[in-house]
Amino acid sequence: MPETANQAGTTAFTVLVADDNDVAQRLCKRVLEKAGYKVIIAVDGLAAVDVALSQRPSMILMDVAMPGIDGLEAMRRIKAEVPTMPIVIASAHSMASDTDRFLAAGADKVLSKPFRLADLVAIVGQFAQAKKSQEKSIDAN
Amino acid sequence: MRRATPFAAIAAVFAVEAAAGAGPVLAFPLYLTIILLTALQLSRTESLATAGLAAIAILIPPLVSANQPSDLATAVLLAVVLIVSAIAITAVVRQVRQKAADAQSRADDIAASEKRMRLMLEAAMVGLALVDGDGRWQQVNDRLAVILGRSRDELPRLTLGDVTAEADRPVLEEALALLRSGDIVRWEAELNQVRADGSRVPVSVAIATAPGRASGESLLLVQETDISARKRLDGIRDCLVAIRHVLVSGLAWEQAVPQLLGGLCTYLDWDLAQFWAADHDRQALRVRHYWHREAAGFEAFREESRETAIPMGFGMLGRVWQSGVVAAVEDLSRVNDYSRSDLARAAGLNSVLAFPVVESGVVIGAIELLAAHVRDVPDYEVTMLSTAGVEIGQFIRRSNTARALRRSEADHRAIFERSPIGIVRINSDGELVESNPAVLSMLEYDFEAMRASAWPDLLRAYDQAAGRQQLAPLLAGLTAGSSVQIRASTAAGKWLWLQLTGTSIPDSNGRPEHVLVMIEDVTTVRETSDQLAEALESQRNANANLERLDHTKTEFLSIVSHEFRTALTGIQGFSELIRDGGLETDEVKAYGGYIFNDADRINRLIGDMLDLDRMESGRMSMRSGDVDINEVLSEAMARASTGVSTVEFDADLDPRLPIVAGDRDRLIQVVSNLVNNAVKYSPDGGRVTLSTRGEGGFALVSVTDTGLGIPPDEIGHVFERFRRVRSGAAQSIPGTGLGLTIVKQIVEMHGGKIWVESAVGHGSAFHFTIPLAAEDASPLQRRHA
Repeated sequence: MPETANQAGTTAFTVLVADDNDVAQRLCKRVLEKAGYKVIIAVDGLAAVDVALSQRPSMILMDVAMPGIDGLEAMRRIKAEVPTMPIVIASAHSMASDTDRFLAAGADKVLSKPFRLADLVAIVGQFAQAKKSQEKSIDAN
Repeated sequence: MRRATPFAAIAAVFAVEAAAGAGPVLAFPLYLTIILLTALQLSRTESLATAGLAAIAILIPPLVSANQPSDLATAVLLAVVLIVSAIAITAVVRQVRQKAADAQSRADDIAASEKRMRLMLEAAMVGLALVDGDGRWQQVNDRLAVILGRSRDELPRLTLGDVTAEADRPVLEEALALLRSGDIVRWEAELNQVRADGSRVPVSVAIATAPGRASGESLLLVQETDISARKRLDGIRDCLVAIRHVLVSGLAWEQAVPQLLGGLCTYLDWDLAQFWAADHDRQALRVRHYWHREAAGFEAFREESRETAIPMGFGMLGRVWQSGVVAAVEDLSRVNDYSRSDLARAAGLNSVLAFPVVESGVVIGAIELLAAHVRDVPDYEVTMLSTAGVEIGQFIRRSNTARALRRSEADHRAIFERSPIGIVRINSDGELVESNPAVLSMLEYDFEAMRASAWPDLLRAYDQAAGRQQLAPLLAGLTAGSSVQIRASTAAGKWLWLQLTGTSIPDSNGRPEHVLVMIEDVTTVRETSDQLAEALESQRNANANLERLDHTKTEFLSIVSHEFRTALTGIQGFSELIRDGGLETDEVKAYGGYIFNDADRINRLIGDMLDLDRMESGRMSMRSGDVDINEVLSEAMARASTGVSTVEFDADLDPRLPIVAGDRDRLIQVVSNLVNNAVKYSPDGGRVTLSTRGEGGFALVSVTDTGLGIPPDEIGHVFERFRRVRSGAAQSIPGTGLGLTIVKQIVEMHGGKIWVESAVGHGSAFHFTIPLAAEDASPLQRRHA
C-alpha cells in the first residue's frame, strides 16, 4: 500500500485511524487515501496514544471498543497532552446516549458505524479545511 | 284587879262572920272555896297569900273574944287546915297548869310545821301530788300543774294516765297495779306527758305508796321532774356525737346524709328532715335528701317539697340560704312566716327550724327540720345546729373531693384492669407490686408465679436489652418512654416478643418510688415486620434481578448492536465501494471476502441467539444417541488447529472412556465453543489441552488453556448471558456473550454439569460431565465392535 499521497501545494493532512478491526482499518485507509489524506493505523488504544503523541497526526479517527485501553481513555490521554488535537470518535456504539457520552468525554465529532463513505470523507474534509484556514491565518500573520 | 278579888272575898266573909258572930266552922268552907278558886285562877303566891289571910281571919275572932278557949283551938286547927289545903291545891293547880301549857305548845309546833311543809311543797321545783289507787289526782302542787301545763282545778278531774303519752300508758298502768297490790312500794321511770296544748314533756317520775286515810283507801305519792331541758341537752350532745360519728366515718355524702338527717330527728326530737341544696347556678334550693318518721302526712309533705324550688331570699328557707342564719318557727299556727305553712300543718307538722349548710364560707344549702308537736327552740340548739351546718358543709366538700378522687382512682383502676396493654407496677427494688390481667393472660402466669419467677427473668432480660442499647438499667437511669423489645417465654413455653416501656413515678421527694412498665405483645408486629423485611428483601432482590436483567438486556442490545454494526461497517463500506465502481478485480474480490466474513459473523450471532432462546424456552429438541466423546474432541481440536497457528494443542483422552448418551451435534457445539474460547483468550504460544476420563457414571471433559484467566469477581458469572469478560486484555476479544450460556444449557440438558477453574494470568480450565450410556454395553466392546 502507498504510504503517502503527496499532493502538490498542500501540507500533507494526516489521519490516524485507531481501530482493532482490520476490516474497518482497511476500509478507512482505502477511502481516506483515495480522498487524498495520509493515513496511519493504530490497532489498539495504547498504540493510538503512542502514535498520536509521537507523530502528531492532523486528526484522529478513534474506535472505542479496543483491547488494552479503550478509545475514550486513549482520547483523554491524548487531549491531556495535545488539547487541540481533533479527535473523531467512530464507534459501533451508536445509540443516542453513546453519542452524548463521547462528546462529553471530549470528542470533537462523532461518526456512527456503519457510516456512509461520503460522511467519513466530509468529516475529515471539514477538519482538513479548518486546518488549512488556520495555516493561512498563521501565514498571514 | 283580879289579884285583889280573893282578898276582898276573904274580907267579906270575915265581915259577915264577925257581924253574925258565927263561928269559924261556919266560915271555913267559904275560905276554902275562895282559896280553891284563887289557886285555879291566880298564881301560887297569890293562892298562898289568900290562904294566909283566911287563916288569920279564922284566928282573929277567938283571939278577940277569948272567952272560949275551945274556939281558939278549933280556929287554930281550921287555920292549919286552910294553909295545908292551899299548899296542896296550888301544887295540884300548878301541875295541871303545866300540862295544859305543854299541850298548847305542842299544838302550836304542829301548826307551824304544817305551814312550813305546805310552803315547801308549793315552792318545790319538783312536781308533787297525791293520787288515788286509780291514779286520779287528789292533791297537786303548783309545780306539777306547770309541768303538766294544766290548772290545779282541772287536774282532779283527770288521772295520771290521762296526761301520759299514749306510748307510755301501758307501762304506767302496770306500775300502778303493782303499787296498789303492795308488790312494790316505789316505782321510778321517765315518761312523756301530754300537756293541755297537746305538747309533750318528758318527765322523770317516782311513785310511792303513801299512808292511807281512815277509810283505808291507799294513796300514792307522785313526784315528777321536768327533764325536757336535760333531754334536750342530752339530745344535743348525742346528736353532735352522732353527727361527728357520721362525719368521720369516711362514708360518701349520699350514704351519710340519711344517717345525719335521721340522727337530727331522733336526737333532737324532730319528725322530718330535708336537705335542700342550691342548684349549680344558684338559682334555687331543691330537696336532695330527706328523712322522716313513718306517717302518711309526712310522705305527702315530702313529695310536695320535692316539687318545690325555693329562690334565694324567699320564705324562711330562702332567707336562711341568703343570710346563713338559723331560723325557726316554734308554732306554725301562730306565726305565718313559712311559705309551706299550710302544707306543713296539713301534714300534721307544727314546728319548723332551718339551718344553713356552709362550705368554705358559702351557703350551699339548708337543712329543714319539722316536728309534729309544738316545740320550743332553745338558743343552745340554734348554736349547735349552726356549728353542725359548718361541719356538714366541710364534710360535703371532703366527700366531693373524695368522690372525685375515687372516680379518678376508679378510672385509673379501670384503665389498669381493662387495658389490652399489659401494665405492671414495680417498686424501687424492682419487685413486682401489681400486674394487670392483660399481663397475666399474655404470659399465662398467675400473679404469684409472675412475681416470684417470671418477672425477675423479664427484668433481667430488660436490663440486658436496655444495657446493650443504652447502658440504662430499668431502675437506674430510666428515661421516660424509652422502650426495649425482649424475647420472653410464656408459662406454656410460647416465645413472645415483648415491648417494655418504663415510666418512673417519683415520690414527693422526686426519687423514683414506683416504675410503671407497659408490656406489649409485639410478636405479631415483630413477625409481620420480619416477614415484611423478608418480603422487602426478596422484593429488593427481585428488583435487583429485574434491574440486572434490564441492565443485561440493555447491555445485550448494546453488545448485539455493536457486533452487528461493526460487522455492517465492513459490509456497508465495501459494498458501497464496489457499487461506486472503478475498482480493480483483485480489490473487488478482496472486498467481497470481507463482506462475506462479516455477513457470516452476523449469521452466527443470530443463530446463537435463536438457539439460546429455544433452549431457554424449552423448545429445543434433542436427538439422543451414542456419542464417542473422544472422537468429538479430536475433531474439534483438528478443526481449531487448522485455522490457528499460534496456539499448541494437547490431548489427554482416556481411551477406555465409555461412550455417552447424547446429541452429537450439540456436544460438538459445546466442545467447539470451549476450544474456540480457549484459543481466543490465549496469547500467542499458548497451550490448549483437551482431556477426558470416566468418573462415576459420567464422562468428565476438561478444556484447559494457559490464557488470560478469569478475574475472581467475574468467574461466578461466566455462564450468564452476555457476560463476557471485558476487563483488561479480554475486553476486545469479540464474541456474542452467548457461547458459554449455550454450552451450559446443552450440558445441563444432557444431565451433566459444567464448571470452571481459573487464575488470572495462568489460564482457565472448563470441566463438564455427560452421563455415560446404558451400563449393559461395555465401552470397549462398543468402541471396538
